[in-house]
Amino acid sequence: MHEGFLGIDVGSISTKGVVIDRDYRVIAYRYLRTQGNPIGSIRQLLKELGSEVDSRLRILGAGTTGSARRLAGVMIQADIVKNEIIAHAVAAGTYYPDVQTVLEIGGQDSKIIILRDGIPVDFAMNTVCAAGTGSFLDHQAARLQIPIEEFGARALRAKNRVSIAGRCTVFAESDMIHKAQLGVPTDDIIAGLCDAIVRNYLNTVAKGKEIRPRILFQGGVAANVGVRAAFERALGQEITVPEYFLVMGAIGAAILAAEATRGQASRFAGFEVARTEFATRVFECDGCPNRCEVVETLRGAEVIDRYGDRCGKWSEN
Amino acid sequence: MKVGIPHFGFDTLALKGFIEELGAEVVLPPPTSKRTVEIGVKLAPELVCMPFKITLGNFAEALERGADTLLMAAGARKCRFGYYHFLQEQALRQIKQDFRLVPVSQYSASGFIFKLIPELFGVSPLRVMRAVCRLLVKSALTRDFRRLLNRKRAVDFAGAEQVKGPVMSLIDRARTISEMKRARREMVRLFGINGKRADIRIGLVGEIFYTVDQRANQEIEKELARLGAEVVFERCLYNHLRYLLHIDAGYRRSRRLARPYLAECPGGEAIRTVGEARQFVMQGVDGIVQVFPFTCMPENIALEALQRISEQSGVPLLYLSFDEHTSTTGLVTRLEAFVELLRRRKYARRVSGN
Repeated sequence: MHEGFLGIDVGSISTKGVVIDRDYRVIAYRYLRTQGNPIGSIRQLLKELGSEVDSRLRILGAGTTGSARRLAGVMIQADIVKNEIIAHAVAAGTYYPDVQTVLEIGGQDSKIIILRDGIPVDFAMNTVCAAGTGSFLDHQAARLQIPIEEFGARALRAKNRVSIAGRCTVFAESDMIHKAQLGVPTDDIIAGLCDAIVRNYLNTVAKGKEIRPRILFQGGVAANVGVRAAFERALGQEITVPEYFLVMGAIGAAILAAEATRGQASRFAGFEVARTEFATRVFECDGCPNRCEVVETLRGAEVIDRYGDRCGKWSEN
Repeated sequence: MKVGIPHFGFDTLALKGFIEELGAEVVLPPPTSKRTVEIGVKLAPELVCMPFKITLGNFAEALERGADTLLMAAGARKCRFGYYHFLQEQALRQIKQDFRLVPVSQYSASGFIFKLIPELFGVSPLRVMRAVCRLLVKSALTRDFRRLLNRKRAVDFAGAEQVKGPVMSLIDRARTISEMKRARREMVRLFGINGKRADIRIGLVGEIFYTVDQRANQEIEKELARLGAEVVFERCLYNHLRYLLHIDAGYRRSRRLARPYLAECPGGEAIRTVGEARQFVMQGVDGIVQVFPFTCMPENIALEALQRISEQSGVPLLYLSFDEHTSTTGLVTRLEAFVELLRRRKYARRVSGN
């Protein structure tokens, strides 16, 4: 029987899962939409991955990452729960030892990670606004009635690149509409949008960071060839999009799980977790005026995790 | 007279002691909470910065507790915060009429000692001077409290949290200089760490309110301690008072260190932020964290300099701007990644050095 490691990355827009072998090669992966229901998407993910690999493979370690990493971690009883920055950096550094820059644009967030000699040495994340992330591209593709998969390719067909204001999605959208009303071809507008997204990213998230090759581009938006080309043009350098660019965070979580469980038994609850009922309950603590929102995770009727309180009254008991 | 003051991190204890020393009763607002911020946001103009909103919320809650006189730092030499007391007074009139808000100008030590405070509290200048001396000693005590707390909780989180409350009431009760000396000895004993030190040290710089007030910055020092990192800092009431009394060598040092990156002060505490960051780098910290309110112009200018310092020295920088929408989850993710990155760097360097 083969042995492998499971990694799950639950973001606001998508839920990703991978199973890798001892040499960190991907055996199976899934990319699902979270659709505002992380518990449902995690269960679906486990069901699909389980039916593909469970009969022929034993999981020696499991890790979770992404904004719902804690929830996913208690559900599957993960061996390690790590933030997405480290997970992305670890995956990038493992697959491409010469990587020095990771550009990552996901559904709701974007980040840049700087590595030297395979070690993450600096990072930045978008702070207050989600301008230029995947959700906005989704929204614009839907508005123009172009399937998101074709959106980037349309940008490559542009003859003239128009300038779109990219600082803020609200302004970007009105600028796009304005250009359309002037009669500018849609392809040119999309190309302009790709440029604007890259410009916005480089001027905010990546500001002050030294972007050295090799440059990896990962996360959902890396699927967009228009944005990819716009990055290459803006940086004047070649960009590498890894084969598994969609699930690099999950791969990182799996690698971290492999490192963490070396020589130890895994706590992983097994793929049959997919059949267990989970729920979360949120209540407001009235112990002090801070009124912390405490989040409870329940397996069946049993409370298995609590967090969200500042003082530790709920989470540490 | 019941005097209300806003919170200012652990240094609130020293400010409280100062007013009590002048014979007035202090009405402390409840610890800054979500409710405090909500009140402040509701009463304040939307685009004003967070220190304004939070202190405004503190005042509103102090009025609820029966305060009739509010004291607010003023003096617009440094940034627009110096003018805020005008607006705060107007905003508070929306909820209460019978109170007064007294602006305390920071930049005239003689006016403070000989006129403003004697008239307000009906005491002699001599008594004010004694109170100022005790304020200095007590604020040094609250600064060292924060230093020792950070040092201990990075290696013994539960133990530090346990003695935190008792030590704070020790400090609160100490009135005279000799009582404060005794409190200090007891504090040092309770915060003992048996020589253990955290492997990661982080220098905290930025706008004064956000570096000092733990509730405002969402307990960033506590979160970092939970991750096993010790936070060191220079910004505190004690150093600020020394600066106002022109007995602060730290400011001159900051100016000198900042000069290659920031020759002129663009306002606020930008010079200090830059100077202290360089000082921390020279002292060998593993990383720098800068905190400031969203839209704070001076700190945004300082950030440009910090990025260059970080690039040239190789010491990573994490900058965090706060507003009422800042989520704890996002903050903790960044802190967690930052500490992990510092640790991975440090570990890797040690390996390659062998």
